[in-house]
Amino acid sequence: MNRLTLSRLWKFLRNAVAALCGLVIVIALLPSKARSQLGLDPCCAMMQVGLNTISGLLRNSVAMPLGSIQQSQQQSANFEQQVVFPMAAISQARNMALQFEGQFVQMRQLFQLPVASATLPMPQMLEQSLLSGNPGAMPQITSSYYSLYGAVMPPANAPQPVRNMVDMADAEAQAAMKKAVEIDALANLELQAAEQINQQLQTTAPGTSTILEAETAAWLVRANAYTQSAMAELVRVRSIELANSSGQLKFSASHAATLQTTGSQVLQQGVQ
Amino acid sequence: MKRISNAVTSLKGGVARSKRLLAVLIVAVVLAPTALRADGIGDILSLFHTITSTLQGPIGEALSEMRKVSAAVNNFRQQIIWPLALINQTRSFVSATRARYTGLMSQIEGIKNNSATLALPMQLESMFRGAQSGSIGQIPSLYTQVYQPVALAGIAQPVQRNLMDIDDAMSMDSLKTAMVSDQTTQGMLTLADSLEQQAMTAAPGSASMVTAQARVADLETQAQLAKMLAAQLRQEATKLAHQNALLKQRSVATQSLQNQIQQVLAHP
Repeated sequence: MNRLTLSRLWKFLRNAVAALCGLVIVIALLPSKARSQLGLDPCCAMMQVGLNTISGLLRNSVAMPLGSIQQSQQQSANFEQQVVFPMAAISQARNMALQFEGQFVQMRQLFQLPVASATLPMPQMLEQSLLSGNPGAMPQITSSYYSLYGAVMPPANAPQPVRNMVDMADAEAQAAMKKAVEIDALANLELQAAEQINQQLQTTAPGTSTILEAETAAWLVRANAYTQSAMAELVRVRSIELANSSGQLKFSASHAATLQTTGSQVLQQGVQ
Repeated sequence: MKRISNAVTSLKGGVARSKRLLAVLIVAVVLAPTALRADGIGDILSLFHTITSTLQGPIGEALSEMRKVSAAVNNFRQQIIWPLALINQTRSFVSATRARYTGLMSQIEGIKNNSATLALPMQLESMFRGAQSGSIGQIPSLYTQVYQPVALAGIAQPVQRNLMDIDDAMSMDSLKTAMVSDQTTQGMLTLADSLEQQAMTAAPGSASMVTAQARVADLETQAQLAKMLAAQLRQEATKLAHQNALLKQRSVATQSLQNQIQQVLAHP
């Protein structure tokens, strides 16, 4: 019994030793980490050299230029923040727009002060239309004008050339009055637009202020065009006025010649 | 026989042991990457070579170029576009210009153009040159004192009275508008001064905001100028209409006179 037990024990030990030997061989043959760490493998040295080269390259070829770029960009950012776009100057410009708003409103209100001065009914009607700044009041200007200044004389009361001249002058005078109403209305719109753009400026950024500047420039071009239109009307009024003076001189000369001829005829008849 | 049996048994045990040993060896051979290890070293060397050439070539050269470009852009901005010295010099220029001209312009603005010599005209002139919109209510009474009120109904024809009244009205309207305009002109000059002060301390980045503000003020001025032009148009139109109305009256009067002369001549 003991012998059998010993025999089994011997077999077990023998198998265990064989398995252990096999395992040792396997472990010895495997490229375990422990061996690399011990520097026993020749490829570890090559890897070390390669990694050192890569590390050196990363330091010199990558890290240094990146650091330089970062430094350059930081410098650029500081320059832009402190010199080109300082926050204090931007806020100051916005505050100025806020201060201007009050003054613009005050100016607009000044131009809305009543300036009407006529005392008689008909002049009052015409004046009211002229100062209304309302383009819808044009028909009233025509009726008030004729009520105040009278219509063109009937054919029996004046020669046709005189009637033509009078009609032309009436037309130009009315046109100038209507143009004045239009210009007033346009100026009111321009003042409103200026206030709105100014309000927008209070929250603008340096990058967007140029857009507002362009918008205002467009309005300025428009305003200049309207001013030019008013100037043209002014030139026309004065031209008609000058033409009237010339026309009257011509009529006076003609009348004087007629009177002289008629007088001579009357005197000759009296002598005979 | 027993020996033979023992030998057979021993042989079977040896064969069994050899099988186990063989199995262990096969496992070891299969697991051992001997050949692969040889190939891996070559691959690693090749990989190292690729990495180093990539770092030196595409990445290193690109970064080097980026560094140069970044530095060039930075220098261009600081030395060409926004050189600090020039920025300060420009601010100094604005300051010097302001100092040079502001006083002179203030002196010119301050010159009084009042020229009336008599009491009432002096009052009226002083009023309408005062640039105080709060005083426009006093214009009609002073104007009437200087130019007289509209003729009474019994003294002048209704047509003539209307002409007088509208002429007076347009004249006074324009005087009042001129007073308002003078006051807003003062306001605009103050705004221009503020803009100039702002320009003195503005940065290149905030200058566009100041410019936009100046443009808005310019638009305001244009609108006010248009209002003054409208007043002038009203004046000129009234003047033309007045002359025309007189022409109409004269024409009617002349025709009437002609008729009367003819009647007289026809009945001597």
